[in-house]
Amino acid sequence: MEKSKHKVDQKVGKVFLVFVGICIVALPFIVLAAFSFEPQETETTVLDPQSLDFDQNGKAIFENYDLISKDYLEGTSTERTLSEYYSRRQYPGSPPFIPHKVEEADLAPIECLACHARGGWTEELKRHTPITPHPEQVACRQCHVAMTEAKLFVDNNWMSVAPPRLGRAALPGAPPPIPHELQTRGNCIACHVGPGTVATIRVEHPSRGNCRQCHVPEISVQPFERKIKS
Amino acid sequence: MNISRRQFIKSAAAQSAVAAAAVLFPGVSFGAWKNLDPSSGGIEWKKTPCRFCGTGCGLLVGVSENRAVAVKGDPNCSVNKGLCCVKGYHSIQILYGKDRVTEALVRKNGKLVEVPIEEALDLVAEKMKETIKDYGKDAVAIYGSGQWSIPDGYAASKLFKGCIGTNNVEANARLCMASAVTGFLTSFGLDEPMGCYDDIDHADIFITWGNNMAEMHPVLFSRMLANRQSKRHVKIIDFATRTTRTSQAADKSILFRPQTDLAVANAICHEIIRNDWVNWDFVTNHVSFHKGKTNIGYGTEDHFKFTDKEETVDFESYKEFLQDYTPEKVEKISGVPAKDIKYMASLYGDPDKKITSFWCMGMNQHTRGTWINNLVYNIHLLVGKISTPGNSPFSLTGQPSACGTVREVGTLTHKLPHGVVMNEKDRELAAKIWTVPVENIDPKPTYHTVEMFRALDRGDIRFMWVQVTNPMVTMPNLNRYRNGAQKDGRFMVVSEIYPTPTYDVADVVLPSALWVEREGFFGNSERRTQHNEQIIPTPGNTMCNTWQLIEVARRLGYEKQFPWSRETYIEDIWNEYTQFHDNPKHRMAPYNELKARSGIQWPFIDGLETKWRYNPKYDPAAESDSFDFYGKPDHRAWIWLRPYEPAAESPDGEYPFWLNTGRVLEHWHTGSMTRRVPILHKAVPESYVEINPDDAANLGITNGSKVKVSSRRGSVVMKASINGRGRPPKGMVFVPFFDESYLINEVTLDAFCPISKQPDYKKCAVKLERV
Repeated sequence: MEKSKHKVDQKVGKVFLVFVGICIVALPFIVLAAFSFEPQETETTVLDPQSLDFDQNGKAIFENYDLISKDYLEGTSTERTLSEYYSRRQYPGSPPFIPHKVEEADLAPIECLACHARGGWTEELKRHTPITPHPEQVACRQCHVAMTEAKLFVDNNWMSVAPPRLGRAALPGAPPPIPHELQTRGNCIACHVGPGTVATIRVEHPSRGNCRQCHVPEISVQPFERKIKS
Repeated sequence: MNISRRQFIKSAAAQSAVAAAAVLFPGVSFGAWKNLDPSSGGIEWKKTPCRFCGTGCGLLVGVSENRAVAVKGDPNCSVNKGLCCVKGYHSIQILYGKDRVTEALVRKNGKLVEVPIEEALDLVAEKMKETIKDYGKDAVAIYGSGQWSIPDGYAASKLFKGCIGTNNVEANARLCMASAVTGFLTSFGLDEPMGCYDDIDHADIFITWGNNMAEMHPVLFSRMLANRQSKRHVKIIDFATRTTRTSQAADKSILFRPQTDLAVANAICHEIIRNDWVNWDFVTNHVSFHKGKTNIGYGTEDHFKFTDKEETVDFESYKEFLQDYTPEKVEKISGVPAKDIKYMASLYGDPDKKITSFWCMGMNQHTRGTWINNLVYNIHLLVGKISTPGNSPFSLTGQPSACGTVREVGTLTHKLPHGVVMNEKDRELAAKIWTVPVENIDPKPTYHTVEMFRALDRGDIRFMWVQVTNPMVTMPNLNRYRNGAQKDGRFMVVSEIYPTPTYDVADVVLPSALWVEREGFFGNSERRTQHNEQIIPTPGNTMCNTWQLIEVARRLGYEKQFPWSRETYIEDIWNEYTQFHDNPKHRMAPYNELKARSGIQWPFIDGLETKWRYNPKYDPAAESDSFDFYGKPDHRAWIWLRPYEPAAESPDGEYPFWLNTGRVLEHWHTGSMTRRVPILHKAVPESYVEINPDDAANLGITNGSKVKVSSRRGSVVMKASINGRGRPPKGMVFVPFFDESYLINEVTLDAFCPISKQPDYKKCAVKLERV
């Protein structure tokens, strides 16, 4: 017993020595790196809204998925319905208005994202918070505004197309196409996974992650027709 | 808590049956809107510039069943790269307000009654002839706007200046960016920015001069925030008279007393010279120094006249002049701590930092608007930070085509599509292209906007045609000008889309086609021309403004000058108009290119846009190794010695508060369009007066209580907003002007910059009373 404990101690001692050695070797590099920091002055790519779609940014969206907790992935509240979802929009895909009270606060964007970047239960509103598909856009109230009045100034003869039909798989059991526009909404997880989402459009297999492997946007409703050269 | 995907797939299998049931509700309609026929053939997307501000975002409008039904940002438009603001996303709803004017109206026995549009056009032409016969050609006028599509403004200029022979052509852009124009002309000799929006992606430092970009140019502001997010050292400094959303998002907010931006700009230059941060190479080769008149007045009296007198001076005189503007002296005038002035100077002076200054109405609606434009250019010129990516003094515009129609077509009293009426060569060119005798074009300018409405009040003008603007909400000192428009013997023609206070004073209302209901062009803040095709049918008997002008011109006997067919007139006008700009400094893109692309910047030379003018690396018109400021005869940019002078009216014992007016994110201009958009109206249903909490407490005013705001000219009773979206400092109140129920312009003062003739809506004295 004594001997083996001694051996273990020796092992620990060796590991420790190697660790210290590495630290000593690495130290100058760390110090040098710290002092040689220079801000990048130019030509840094600025993220623009286009690069936030799955096609340009799919990897980030995919990796982000790994950060989501099991509880969230399994979350299945029925708080939200599609009719409520569309009642906050003026046409399919319009930025929804803010349905709850908001203060005109200091640093407003950070306040919105405190809840809407990651989601979670809000005691105040007794609901799960939905996640924004574009958290990198921080000026939230550029597009989302709160309602302070119910009456209109003048009536409007506004009409739009019907919301997309659900369950449009081409064959029984086939993956349905994506029926909506993807601009600023390329992050599928945000609206189709978790307890903050609408139950009817929640997916049953969120863990697969690479949504666009099977679900493709439906750009045209016209069938393919060969153009015959005369 | 994280689990692997493999683990999860197992646990998910059990749930899938439940979830699958939930997706079995096909074809159920849920929307808050009325649905089009579900059998309709899907959405077709068409490009157009946005109808609202001068940013000029590219939109894709979804069309179904001949109606505009959805909007997305145009990812191919370099302005907004696919992002819009709340106004843009809901812009198409302005087409469908229930009270849309779709028929012509003529006032009979005091009431507007529907008539066939031909009858209304006959009456307009008849009245014009009669007025010219009785009172002379300078008794008829047209007043348009920066919302005029380019062909509208071009047809108006050709009819009034070329055919009728009066220079009574003005536009509301005079109230909006005239100081920016005179600023550019006096400093560089040519109008419009040298840089472009790409500067936003390149700059390290942004300084907003009296410019609440977060609300007024939100898409550009987001682009600034995106730059700051991707580069840690980027900073935004908000230099303003009131705390706004822009201040909140900025790294530093610096407040100054109204009008003292003049002194601070000079103090920044003083510091740059004192620390020898001057870019001597640039200054020696590309800058000259100039002085103008001082103590130049405020134009509050009728027939006010001012002509500046330029005197060339040297750097030493400039340095001498700046001795009055040490940071310590300016701290006393402006309330800005000397250390903050030095901080701003150090940012401009740092040779390793690229700096972009933004401004809009804060600097333009200013009784020394031309001067403050000059002074900010001075800063950029001293350190040579101009005309290169990221180094940009940038004057923003508020209307979609203030640049395109008013500045480039020249719908101002002294302007022609190329040059000015005073210049014989410019008149000759115009006469040749317009096929009119050169004597037709009057070499003397007549009235700028404020003076034009004074002339209407006096009776010097008897007939006025207003297109695409709402002066009965926007004119300062409004009571006088509304009374003037309603006097006997005045005839008002209003081309409108909705009933407004201007519609209320009309003798004839012509129903106008709006935005995507007709073909046209806008020109945005960064020299970008943007084409839109007609993508939905015109409602009722509405008619494109250009075509209204053509119809009246033909009735006046100018068929030869207005020969175009209804099918191709927009293209024909473009081809005729661009002859005026057929030179390397201003060449416009051809019609087919504009039709195909999401906007093209001029000068468009050999198939290439010019992103940075005066820099031979980017601008083929620049003939030099480094920079060539070819707008001025000495090929230099001009630094001006412009002093601080006080505002036309400052708070005093009787009227102790500054009144500042402006906009909010949700509404655009007078709200005649945005208030008809449900979501925008519900967000901000009425105007209000922002009061500092200390002032409110002293006066016993609480949030939402009624307050009377009055000046020597008029008063408005409205609700108080305390600690709301904007927070004025002590001694200032702020009122958004969009709401026709609270006409704050009855309170404002019609003082203007003597050089640009642009009124100052940001400064007059008022008192507050609890109601």
